[in-house]
Amino acid sequence: MSSGAAQPDSSSVLIVDGDIVSRHVIADYLRHCGYAVVEAANVDEAYVALGEPSLSIDVILCDVSALGSQSGFALASWVRSNRPELEVKLAGGAAMAAETAAELCESGPHLERPYEPEAVVDYINRLRASRLA
Amino acid sequence: MVPRSDIPRGEPCAPTRSNILLVEDELLIRMMIGDKLRDEGFDVIEAVNADEALAILKSPVRVDLLISDVRMPGSIDGLGLLATTRADLPNLPVIITSGHLEPRLALADGATRFVAKPFSLEAIVEAVRAELGTNG
Repeated sequence: MSSGAAQPDSSSVLIVDGDIVSRHVIADYLRHCGYAVVEAANVDEAYVALGEPSLSIDVILCDVSALGSQSGFALASWVRSNRPELEVKLAGGAAMAAETAAELCESGPHLERPYEPEAVVDYINRLRASRLA
Repeated sequence: MVPRSDIPRGEPCAPTRSNILLVEDELLIRMMIGDKLRDEGFDVIEAVNADEALAILKSPVRVDLLISDVRMPGSIDGLGLLATTRADLPNLPVIITSGHLEPRLALADGATRFVAKPFSLEAIVEAVRAELGTNG
């Protein structure tokens, strides 16, 4: 199950993260534990997803450093005012995002972590390190 | 750079299926293509522009196929990404998609296949299977 479109018995997470390495690894983690995932590279893309009526989104996992015309904090404020039914989880960095994703997995469709969040963070850090080398 | 062989199987996101790097700046189009390809058995990395794609191509993440739009914001467009990829990864299959570009121009620049926009999801799956010779 991978579609971000509304599906019976599935929960959807909108990930907002400007770092493709972190965004992709966390997105795959959530897909492995049964969530439908929409990946936004910045806050502007998040608004596009939130404005698309065919997309059913339950949770927004937003890196606070996500860029765009607005900040992650501004997105969270907008959601609280305009889409209060949505849960917003702000994360400051890959470690917090991975831990938040693990918590979502424990309450999600399959009620289990596909692997430990520490492994996710370690993998992200190794990919980033090799990219800079 | 960490050699790709240093990433053990079973590692988070270490690909066991064909790994496709999809570059598209329109979120809804990118999401629909990505989800369709995942449903068809492929792993997909979604990049919003060429700069993100290059970050992945320079990492140890294995990429078996690159699909890229042409007109995108960022430091280079899809043809710039194609040129860079051809220089660094000459054997990587590259599918270029565009609603404006002449197919012969993309193919002359080294694309292995051109898919004209608008295209059906089935058409992109067919093109991917033709390039990879696999079902996922």
